[in-house]
Amino acid sequence: MNEQLKSLGLDGNAFTFYFHWLNDFVRGNFGYIIFPGGGREPVSNRLATALPISLRLVVYVQIVSLLVSVPLGIYTAYRAGRRSDRVISYSLFAAASVPNFVFGLLLAIFIGVKLGWLPPLGYVDPSENFVEHIKTMILPVLSLSIPTIATYSRLLRSDVIATLREDYVTMAASKGLSNRRILFTHVLRPSSTTLFTSAALNMGALIGGTLVIEQIFSIPGLGSEIGIAIFSRQFFALQSYIALIAVGYVLFNGIIDVLLGFVDPRTRERRNA
Amino acid sequence: MRRLWSTFNLPTKISAAWISIVMFFVVTGSFLPLPDPTEFDPDASGVGLFSSGHLLGTDINGYDLLSNVVNGARISILIALISVGVGGLIGSAIGIGSAYVRGKLDIAVNLFFNILLSIPNLVLGLALVAILATSADPAIPIDPNRRVFIIIFSLTVVIIPILGRIARGATLSWVNREFIVAARSMGMKDRHIIFKHIVPNVLPAIYAVIFLAIGVVIVAEGALSLLGVGIIDGVSWGAMIGRVAGDFTYAPQSMYVPVIVLALTVIAFNQIGDHLRSQLDSREGKI
Repeated sequence: MNEQLKSLGLDGNAFTFYFHWLNDFVRGNFGYIIFPGGGREPVSNRLATALPISLRLVVYVQIVSLLVSVPLGIYTAYRAGRRSDRVISYSLFAAASVPNFVFGLLLAIFIGVKLGWLPPLGYVDPSENFVEHIKTMILPVLSLSIPTIATYSRLLRSDVIATLREDYVTMAASKGLSNRRILFTHVLRPSSTTLFTSAALNMGALIGGTLVIEQIFSIPGLGSEIGIAIFSRQFFALQSYIALIAVGYVLFNGIIDVLLGFVDPRTRERRNA
Repeated sequence: MRRLWSTFNLPTKISAAWISIVMFFVVTGSFLPLPDPTEFDPDASGVGLFSSGHLLGTDINGYDLLSNVVNGARISILIALISVGVGGLIGSAIGIGSAYVRGKLDIAVNLFFNILLSIPNLVLGLALVAILATSADPAIPIDPNRRVFIIIFSLTVVIIPILGRIARGATLSWVNREFIVAARSMGMKDRHIIFKHIVPNVLPAIYAVIFLAIGVVIVAEGALSLLGVGIIDGVSWGAMIGRVAGDFTYAPQSMYVPVIVLALTVIAFNQIGDHLRSQLDSREGKI
């Protein structure tokens, strides 16, 4: 028993334990899940199966959200102040405030159980059966996407409205370019920086969101692993999971900062100036 | 107050009305002629909406849903108000203080906020509740009141960096204005500058975010219950959602009634917060 404790760094006080864990963590050893008998399983084993599932979910959500919110944001900005914009914008505002688990539960009840169109829970790996994989992912992705779509299109809307006031847009319109051309080639790119930044920042919130959604739809991703770690008191694992999420979040922010320079060279110049 | 009301548009008025109703329930919930929320009706388990004696139906055990929603408002809203109040107070104090002092303290505080903010809200809250709300012996569940306290504490920790950062940012934008420099050069004490000149200017920004933060906490309380670490056997919206999370096929109303009430309340708080913020922007614009 003492040897067990020693190898886990638990023979000292809380600080030595913490540094023992941190020392292992930065070297890629995320600790162990300890079973009652004394057996252990490396946390990285669990991560290898759970993390891809969660990442897949988050990536699907980002793709769906961006695909829907870009046209929606441009349309509402183009129609700013008209009735169609007001109706859509208010519904988007409401949708952005509704927590994703509300959509998750309601979709699970009405589409999953009552109508029976899609499986209300479970997860199928794409390597097993791709069609079933898509089917099981639709409801979770949808419930995470609705609030995300709402947030993204509201951001894009206000940026597009600002860009539409620029002189070069008036110039393009007076040259006789079609509205579609102006909106998608001249307005979208300079207006999309806020959207990109918040999409990257949203990765963290989405990972938090997958926690609950994975629980509702019983998807064996990182969220479920965190749940399991909490209930079986695997504090090593829990510590590593949360630290990983935080590291990933910071990493994403760094990456997006670099990417933004390519999307909008103006920010790069501003920084160098 | 009347001037504020006159700036409200229709959705904001509806939101204010909805919040008033919820607040009315918070205050008078236990005096209203409703069935006891913790007592089940053996003759009516899982009856639908608008059945006799149970306006919103009952859940699978026969608990009256209307009564649970009305009485549950008390704990859910109190948790939100207390954690946002305490968290806001601590966060603003730290934020304003560090932005006023600047220097190394400010760098340290900013780093501390950024570290806390880099962990998603829910993950942070969940980790805190999970670690604090465990008893030494797993067989003995911890005291429900203690659990409520731990949830409030954890959500307060979640709120501190959110409001702290807003307060810090707002203070930074005021601290170099001429009137502050003038006050300082006339020898006004730091304490007086902060309370007389900075706090009144920073407060509006905080008010707006406080409403949004209340929404965040209400959602977090519900989500924690769904994950099984929230209020389990008490009367709260989260508890209602948590109780039926695994099994709502028999009495779906026991799921969608609390979920919709919670969503409406969050929408209402966000709408008012958003409105206050837009008022603030236009006020800033006029200067």
